[in-house]
Amino acid sequence: MGDFGVAEEGVIKTLLGSCIGLTLYDRRLRLGGMAHIVLPASRSASDPPGKFADTAIPALLRELEALAGALVRTEARMAGGANMFGTQTTDTVGRRNIEACERLLESLRIPLVGRDCGGAAGRRMILELSTGRVTIEIVGREPFEI
Amino acid sequence: MTLSASQLGVIREALHLGAEEASRSLSKWIQRPTSITFDSFEQLTLDEAVGVLGDPQDPLCFCAMEMTGHLEAHLVLIFDDASGLALADLLLGQAKGTAIGWNEMETSAALETTNIMCCAYLNAMARALPAGDAHDLVPSPPRFGRDFAQSLIECALMDQIVASDQVMLARTAFRIDAALVNWTLLFVPGAGALERVIEP
Repeated sequence: MGDFGVAEEGVIKTLLGSCIGLTLYDRRLRLGGMAHIVLPASRSASDPPGKFADTAIPALLRELEALAGALVRTEARMAGGANMFGTQTTDTVGRRNIEACERLLESLRIPLVGRDCGGAAGRRMILELSTGRVTIEIVGREPFEI
Repeated sequence: MTLSASQLGVIREALHLGAEEASRSLSKWIQRPTSITFDSFEQLTLDEAVGVLGDPQDPLCFCAMEMTGHLEAHLVLIFDDASGLALADLLLGQAKGTAIGWNEMETSAALETTNIMCCAYLNAMARALPAGDAHDLVPSPPRFGRDFAQSLIECALMDQIVASDQVMLARTAFRIDAALVNWTLLFVPGAGALERVIEP
């Protein structure tokens, strides 16, 4: 929760409730990463970068470029932002998280190619590094790709 | 905000009283000797909070109520399928093992149990706190769901996460007919709610 990671093989996965899972994947280099974003904007420089949209996406890109040893050309997928209990705060935060991610991706010219956001159900988000495929699992439903 | 030792003492006492009152209500409702005991009240980091329900990957059932008024809080009754369906069998007067899925009757039994128990819990808590007034508490209708343990915790704590890196939550343990059952009742105060009640 509030963390991020990059890899070249295997899978990266996270469980999401009201938080946002964001993946970046470079199809040419076959490497990618995932951030578990809790809030839209960081409060101080000492905050963990993976927790906030405004720091997680740049940090994820930096890590991917360090892993690749070159510039990366990524595409993004996003999931989460559930409001399980129907509360105002969660609804507002979820929406602001989604908007913050969309804004940042746009400013970085990263295409958002898949999304499954909102609703009342939590999600398991799985990124397969060999293919870039992102699968969403929801309790009581068949898994699906975004 | 971090609570002082004396403030924590006041809250723990109120949580004890809440659990006692909820225990009496639950006994009356299911017509069995039950015991709900206050287990812990903790200030945790997010990473610590994720583990309070056991394996974060486990799918669990929940019935959640939101309370608004001077003591804003979420009360979430959490149980696995087997424990929840056993309760449904008990309330529906059928042999244990009859309920095998979450249909309308089983869900309704869980929701009504939550409603009765949680209202008793919060009313007693509100009376015990310095700025307590049970009359201005407004409960939402309970919601039933099944979800991953971590997703559930994340949603329950979001109000606090927005305000602080530390979260506060209280847990209780349940016994029915003297046997420990796999239910957990989480009391999750809204951000700043306890501080406002203790220091009005």
